[in-house]
Amino acid sequence: MASSFARVSAFVALAATVLAAAAASLLVGGTDVTPHDLLRALARPEATGALQTIVWQLRFPRVCIAAVVGGSLALAGALLQGMLRNPLVDPYLTGVSAGAAAAIAIAILAGVAAPLTPAIGFVAGLAAATIVAALARRGAGIDSNRLILAGVSLSTLFAAIVTLAIVRAQSSDYATAIVAWLAGSMAGRGWHELAVTAPYVGAGALLALYAVRPLNALRVGDVRARTVGVDVARAQWVILAASSLLAAASVVLAGMVGFVGLIVPHIARRIVGSDARALLPASVAIGAALCMLADAVCRWIVAPAELPIGVLLAFIGVPSFLYLYFHGGEASR
Amino acid sequence: MIELRDLGLRVGERRLLDGVRAFVTAGEFLAVVGPNGAGKTTLLRAIAGLHPPAAGTVTVDGAALAALSPVQRALRVGFVTSDDVLPDALRVRDVVAIGRYPHHRWWEWQPRPHDEEVVEGALAAVAMGEFSQRLFSTLSSGERQRVWIALGLAQETPVLLLDEPTSHLDVRVAHEILALLRRLADAGKTIVCVLHDLNDAAAYADRLALLGRGALLALDRADDVLAGEAIETAYGLPLERVRSADGRLRVFARAVRLPSITP
Repeated sequence: MASSFARVSAFVALAATVLAAAAASLLVGGTDVTPHDLLRALARPEATGALQTIVWQLRFPRVCIAAVVGGSLALAGALLQGMLRNPLVDPYLTGVSAGAAAAIAIAILAGVAAPLTPAIGFVAGLAAATIVAALARRGAGIDSNRLILAGVSLSTLFAAIVTLAIVRAQSSDYATAIVAWLAGSMAGRGWHELAVTAPYVGAGALLALYAVRPLNALRVGDVRARTVGVDVARAQWVILAASSLLAAASVVLAGMVGFVGLIVPHIARRIVGSDARALLPASVAIGAALCMLADAVCRWIVAPAELPIGVLLAFIGVPSFLYLYFHGGEASR
Repeated sequence: MIELRDLGLRVGERRLLDGVRAFVTAGEFLAVVGPNGAGKTTLLRAIAGLHPPAAGTVTVDGAALAALSPVQRALRVGFVTSDDVLPDALRVRDVVAIGRYPHHRWWEWQPRPHDEEVVEGALAAVAMGEFSQRLFSTLSSGERQRVWIALGLAQETPVLLLDEPTSHLDVRVAHEILALLRRLADAGKTIVCVLHDLNDAAAYADRLALLGRGALLALDRADDVLAGEAIETAYGLPLERVRSADGRLRVFARAVRLPSITP
């Protein structure tokens, strides 16, 4: 993006999109809420009544969760794609989701209480990311090819564990619980889950701030980045830690939500370019808006039931992305 | 300015260089020559702090390189590598601006007016000012090489290392780049440059450093290195020497005859 005016305009448009998506997501649901009702409820958080409960205890936390999940996954994807200079990388490459899925599948099969499963998933996800990072280590830094190979290999192994768990649980409700978790959903989550994951999301975001300048230098390759003073090994560990924390937090909040971390950075790159100073916040905004809208559609389209958000994102997002990718300019790639 | 003390370099288990002692003064243009695999690029990487020596030390401006942080090193030494990386969707100006990295702390995201001036100056120095808004990927090989040199200039370091900056370039562009390096050295910047063409190296550099057989075989004025026996030893090839009209010594390899192959 050439001019700062164009960049400011893009961010104003993105901010408006995020607000519009949040408003739409707050209005949509099993109970009709008019814009007037919504404003009234938001203005008086201390009041009691059905409307306050719907807005403040059900929809608002869910909209926030959707925004955090979308923003976190998109940010993690943008960080990893920039670090590896590979547009096919997504945040789940680090093994976070596959490790979490395997642990949660085993936990469900073992009859562990439902409230404990997100915590188990979080710890297992980070443990899987640590194993992948250890396997990818080369000297002081991380080898890109090793990271991709280790991430794909371990994720395949963990996926096999999940499949085995589903097969073993075929005749019970456990299989349904595992599949529902794999499909991704924000149903039943609230302020508590948001508060628990906030420190990890915050830590991931702070690490991402540190990574902005190294990411920009890495656009000319690892060797040239080192010649201008980038501590490439440190930057790689910081980015890996940030993306693992963000992905693990999103797994706790919504299970497996695919597509966002892979595709949103491409869309953001097309709008604001590859400068990390613009790309990272734009990815967060687009990811947040996309997940809020997708969650609203999931709640509305088959109400009173819900569609898994991962399914919806794949059906709508993938064709849209393919169109953008193949009909966009070089900036999209 | 640059001092190499008993420098030893290894790549894996392979011994490349041993006992290299050299001193390069400020404002000198030193051309590093030698056959393939002699360790020229690795020597440059060691001076840039990208390849840890197996023995000895590298000091730049009196500071041991190993004791410096990556940013401190990048403020002293710029390195135009021969790595062929094609940045995606980056404009020429953005590529050159990456050279300003060591002049900012991690939270200083916005360029200062001085950064803009330096980037413009670097682009002008390599005659690429009018290309600043072009996508890097649309440039020719010669233009890309100029941009990489501009990135090195934007670092504003007293020392600039270049690894084969004229490879893949036509004769005119190659000479323009060598002339630019000569001008930079005359302006006070220390230039250490790996070159394959011995006559080009002799025409533009103050001294030649000849690597071969695991050692620094010669470090002297260009004419003296070209006239000596060490150069034939290094390449394992007989050379013809001709004094040209401008008084410079030039060397030419005699045609190599391979043993005949019977079908």
